[in-house]
Amino acid sequence: MTPTSTSISTTRFGELEISPEAIIKFPEGMIGFENSLEYTLVPHSEESPFVWLQSVRQPDLAFLLMNPEDVVPDYAPTISGHEAEQLGLSEETPRLVYTVVTIPPGKPEDMTINLAGPLVINAEARTGRQIVLDTRSYPVRHRVHEKHPERKAA
Amino acid sequence: MLVLTRKLNQSIFIGDSIEVVVLEVRGDQVRLGIKAPRDVVVHRKEVFEQIQAENESASGASPSDLPE
Repeated sequence: MTPTSTSISTTRFGELEISPEAIIKFPEGMIGFENSLEYTLVPHSEESPFVWLQSVRQPDLAFLLMNPEDVVPDYAPTISGHEAEQLGLSEETPRLVYTVVTIPPGKPEDMTINLAGPLVINAEARTGRQIVLDTRSYPVRHRVHEKHPERKAA
Repeated sequence: MLVLTRKLNQSIFIGDSIEVVVLEVRGDQVRLGIKAPRDVVVHRKEVFEQIQAENESASGASPSDLPE
């Protein structure tokens, strides 16, 4: 192991060699998972719209993420002043916005994304946070694929 | 738990910077106004619980759940 990289154990992806810059700190964790404060992003595969948020310390903890704009092009969650401050975000700070994907067992065609609790990552400072939006405007489960069988990918 | 009785338009203070006012009472619904500094985040408990539950379901996903 070189001083510039760390090896992490993961249940899904085996041992991963990651650089310190690949670690994203979530000072408050994910909602309900307040014990895991460091994550890294693992692409699902080349050209896949999916990315995994893998916990650095907890091998079996990972969330499947997706860029919400691939599903809802006009998705524009409001980040409160407090949340922006905590993330060190100014207007110009490069940021990543992801939504958590839920796949009902055995039914990937029914997968949903959580528009009410997006992750916002300050790409410069590499800190992130799951923000809480109003569920009256943003559903917790928004279908990724439309329900018409003929629209399903062949 | 501290229990207080308030009437319409009466309020309580939490610390010296957070004020909760009873704005309207209609049947079993109560509208509350909350005055708090901007570093205090206020959410309905249900929203938090829904996101937490959704995170829990989502955390079980594995790469094999995704179609190629």
